[in-house]
Amino acid sequence: MIKRVEINYRGIFQKNLGKKIGSDIVIIASRMGRIGFSNGRYSDSPERNGIPCKYFAFVSHDLSEEELEAECGAKLDIDQCDISVVLDDTMLKGVEPWGWHGVRPINEKVQPNGTLLVVTKRTPDELLEFIAKKPYSWKLATYSGDLSFGGLWVFRDDLTHEKTLGAVAGIDSDIIGIEAAEGYLRYKTPKEPARAEAARLAYEEVRKTVRTVKPGEGVEWKHEIPVLPKWFEFMEGAAVPAVKREFSLGPKGQSRNETFKRGTTKNQRPVVRFDLCTKCTLCWLECPDQCFDQTDDGLYDIAYEYCTGCNKCAQACPVKECIVMVDELQFTDDSSPWEAYKANPEKYTEWAEDRKSTGRYIHPMVTGTGLEFLEGELVPFGGKRASPKK
Amino acid sequence: MATETIVYDKIKGVHKIPLEEFYTSGHRTCQGCESATTMRAFIKVAGPRTVVTGSTGCMYVANTSYMTTPWIVPWMHTQLGAGGSSAIGMAAGLRALKRKGKIKDEPINAIAFCGDLGGGDMGLSGISGALQTDYDLLIIMYDNESAANTDIQATGLSTYGAQTTFTPPGSKHRIMQKRWKKNVAGMLAVGHPTCKYVATACATFPPLDYMNKVRKALAVGGPTFIHTYDPCPKGWDFHPRYSHEIGEFGIKSGLYPLFEIIEGQVVYTYDCRKTAKGRTPVKEFLEAQGRFAHLIPEDVDYIQKRVDDMWEEWDIPGVAPIKGVLKA
Repeated sequence: MIKRVEINYRGIFQKNLGKKIGSDIVIIASRMGRIGFSNGRYSDSPERNGIPCKYFAFVSHDLSEEELEAECGAKLDIDQCDISVVLDDTMLKGVEPWGWHGVRPINEKVQPNGTLLVVTKRTPDELLEFIAKKPYSWKLATYSGDLSFGGLWVFRDDLTHEKTLGAVAGIDSDIIGIEAAEGYLRYKTPKEPARAEAARLAYEEVRKTVRTVKPGEGVEWKHEIPVLPKWFEFMEGAAVPAVKREFSLGPKGQSRNETFKRGTTKNQRPVVRFDLCTKCTLCWLECPDQCFDQTDDGLYDIAYEYCTGCNKCAQACPVKECIVMVDELQFTDDSSPWEAYKANPEKYTEWAEDRKSTGRYIHPMVTGTGLEFLEGELVPFGGKRASPKK
Repeated sequence: MATETIVYDKIKGVHKIPLEEFYTSGHRTCQGCESATTMRAFIKVAGPRTVVTGSTGCMYVANTSYMTTPWIVPWMHTQLGAGGSSAIGMAAGLRALKRKGKIKDEPINAIAFCGDLGGGDMGLSGISGALQTDYDLLIIMYDNESAANTDIQATGLSTYGAQTTFTPPGSKHRIMQKRWKKNVAGMLAVGHPTCKYVATACATFPPLDYMNKVRKALAVGGPTFIHTYDPCPKGWDFHPRYSHEIGEFGIKSGLYPLFEIIEGQVVYTYDCRKTAKGRTPVKEFLEAQGRFAHLIPEDVDYIQKRVDDMWEEWDIPGVAPIKGVLKA
């Protein structure tokens, strides 16, 4: 018997968090006399900021270490899992780690009676508005927590790691037990009882929030398993067809790469108040993903399915409140904001303000050796604004 | 595709920038990737009559996930150290095809790009060779100060003191990146009298500066070289939203000199000498990034001193570390 846990995380920002959870599941399992094994998804390397990635942890009661490793060693992906941990709830809108994959449902690998475990501040019922339905019943559990984002060199120590261990124990004691998790955390950090307590609290929380999702519950999700071209189907010299050249003013006027849209990289998106826009072009000029389409009236439409939520447009925009980043779960589609504005300017502005009021994106940022910066009206950076603009 | 004339005119204002993209959306770069902006800007102003090669690096791997690409113009991957040689091959091939009448005799831009490891360290000899030819080619080195594709290893162009996978700060040895940043643009300009145009640039600061430098280089013909400075949110450790501002900090602090050398004349496009615009303290640049979080004030003073020295003591600031001629 092999128990499989997959940890879905945002590339780089949560790399250290995902790795730590995976390795600690293995350590705790081995302290319980079980055999564990953890690895990252091979195809995720090199990781890019924000792209959905995975770590895996495998636990077995009866296999030897060699047998477990042979079964679970470096693979492109696993076929199914007992627990799928989601460390950023905006990934529930789907994940697209590479070209050709399409936007895959987050619960794709959850097996019958398996569990999707989400760190979120929303309720399971709210989350089910985004998650794909399945032909069998599965479980959804949540535990509350802020989005834990660190950096390449730093791990953001905000107890999300301990909570996740407790939550995994709460779902399936065949993977790790809560006493063993607490014991390990007390042994590792004897002077910090808060760590073991956080694990226990999350353990109790998921046992309350866990609910069974019936077959067919959830949203319709069209996703076909991608069929990649075979080697003999390649063009001469292994050439790849370029994107077709097309350009016109207006929404979707620029041709774009159809086989990799990567919009699932974002956990926030820019909301534009077109009525405030001064047509300065800076958002379009600064966008590293070429998401902005100029329209015939000089405003810029956004191709949201290609936006990665990097904040550069909001930072570059010289008009206050014109471009604001809003939490991705506030949106259900990627339709053109400019067309909505043109159809009914008042309604659009009202809608944009409504999104901003409920989902304005605020999260603390950790950098370097773990210094933490909280976002105020404009982001302070060591007590100062990062921008040299006065 | 209908043949289009190449435009080399100076772009006077952001509203005059061509709207059409030839490096389009759908690439696997980081959020807020400045190098993607560099790619996008050079091909935007070079136009559709351009062929591009790119050596291995972030901008190769991120742009070619299996069988998918954001490029609209012809683009070819070449090996890590082959930026220069592939540029010669491409330019020579185009010249031969035109001479033999196989393709129409019309200007076609040949651009090769390479990263700071591929261009500044490993492929330096190839680029040096390319700059001694008389072919019309442009080599762009996008410098994110690390081997960013393989999770940030130090290169000869990483800033002194920076944390990388190869140079992690420890309790005994705080500074592991002890090498001073290699001055590739200056080296190539000083060592290659045949090279018609050498410039350093940053994709976002000063606005339009980089785009116009690319146009200028392409108009001159070749061989030409541009070194761009690309803040990397992943490896320099700052929030992606700041990637266009960090470059501005680096340039204003004088750490990264902006100049162009046309026919032996140095023109500072952002003059950091005290007699001109002056410099902001390097501290402001360093403290904005996580990779310098381990530096202590003495380290910052040391970097500041070397930067001051470069701007005030060198005969040609930022280009050649020479402080005059000794009398016999």
